[in-house]
Amino acid sequence: MTEMDREIIGHMANPNNYGRMEDADSIGIGENPLNGEKVIIYINVSKKDDNLHIDDIKFEAIACMTTVVAGSIITNEAKDISFETAEELVAVTLGMLESVPPEEAACSEMVAVALKAAIDGYKLSQESGEKQTVIYKIEQSCSPEQEFSAVEDKQEK
Amino acid sequence: MKELLIKTHEAWMVTLMASFMSKDAESKRVLNDFSDILFRHFTWIEKALIEDGIEYDYNRDAVPIKVDSLKVIVTNIIDRLNTLDMMLAMLDKEALKFRLQTDWDYMKYALNEIKDEEVTAFDANREYKDYNLTKEATDALTLFLFEEGYKEYELIMIYNYLKAHSNDDYLNKIFQILIDESFFHLKSFAEMMAIMGILGVPRVIHKSLYQVDDVTQFLKDGIDEELAAKEQCKELSDAVAKDSDELAKFFDFINYQENYHIELMKDALKHYEENR
Repeated sequence: MTEMDREIIGHMANPNNYGRMEDADSIGIGENPLNGEKVIIYINVSKKDDNLHIDDIKFEAIACMTTVVAGSIITNEAKDISFETAEELVAVTLGMLESVPPEEAACSEMVAVALKAAIDGYKLSQESGEKQTVIYKIEQSCSPEQEFSAVEDKQEK
Repeated sequence: MKELLIKTHEAWMVTLMASFMSKDAESKRVLNDFSDILFRHFTWIEKALIEDGIEYDYNRDAVPIKVDSLKVIVTNIIDRLNTLDMMLAMLDKEALKFRLQTDWDYMKYALNEIKDEEVTAFDANREYKDYNLTKEATDALTLFLFEEGYKEYELIMIYNYLKAHSNDDYLNKIFQILIDESFFHLKSFAEMMAIMGILGVPRVIHKSLYQVDDVTQFLKDGIDEELAAKEQCKELSDAVAKDSDELAKFFDFINYQENYHIELMKDALKHYEENR
């Protein structure tokens, strides 16, 4: 068994940062409206040197095991970093996924857009003074038959 | 009482997982029986919460189970039972309180008698018995066991929640059959995972999955999911057939069981539509 296999099995058996965060400062959702798959990201935020910073992060997935593995990996990367770095992480992840067949990219994409939704939701909440949950929708599931559509976003209170 | 439900849920999960870890027939039997009892405790505490009009859900903490020796996880279960014991003061249902207390007392005694053994359920050997599965078949089997192991836990919790909130005897009979069937599937898959060294606790399920507003749609979706599960069993059976006739036969057996689940769910849907 390769080291990669071992690592992936570790994420499947014991996903990092999995579960609900009761006192989250922001909640972001990545959703596939076609099949109901969903990733929910919870973040706790602080200000460090005038920069917004993700102190803690958790996620829940109503989705396949590949999405859970992606959530485990991406939330690990996003823990204890600034918003700016987290936004770069989202951009790099989505950029890398452009070269992957859409049906294989969907799981990681849903996690990345959920993280972006949590970040954007926090900023919107700060601006409006009201807590906002942002939902970003993807229109691609882990099924090769379906066509890829561009990411569409929707904002909900 | 809500905390009692959560901690009982966690103790049930750890005890169930410990039963899969053990290779000793007697220890496995004791742990499996105790996990069944803890699940029943869970349903009784849930019933008491409903009676008292207390809102609750099935959220719980992650339960770490990765150990090298059975004694470590058994000690962990005893610690959890001691924690539960301290919560009993919150419970004002005397009969239930007495039952829980006396069960835990005996369980702690019996758990202390369990022999220690080496645990290999986490060594990621990914070999099933002496079959020479190809890398492709092993990968397919690994993913299937993780996906479906979680799915069976999810189904147990969903049907349990629906049953707890329904007074319809006909529907509840169907839900109970589906709970029992999912327990068998979960046990079968988790035993295989333990042999392959990839045992894991199913993740916490999101409340939107069991706090169902539209039962009709839920049952329709459930039928579609059972059909998808059948297809996955068929694909897996085909993938392992050339390497292991026994495994192929097992997944065909699971596949055919899904047919009955689909019929039960269609029956539940018809009954629900006619009586709502």
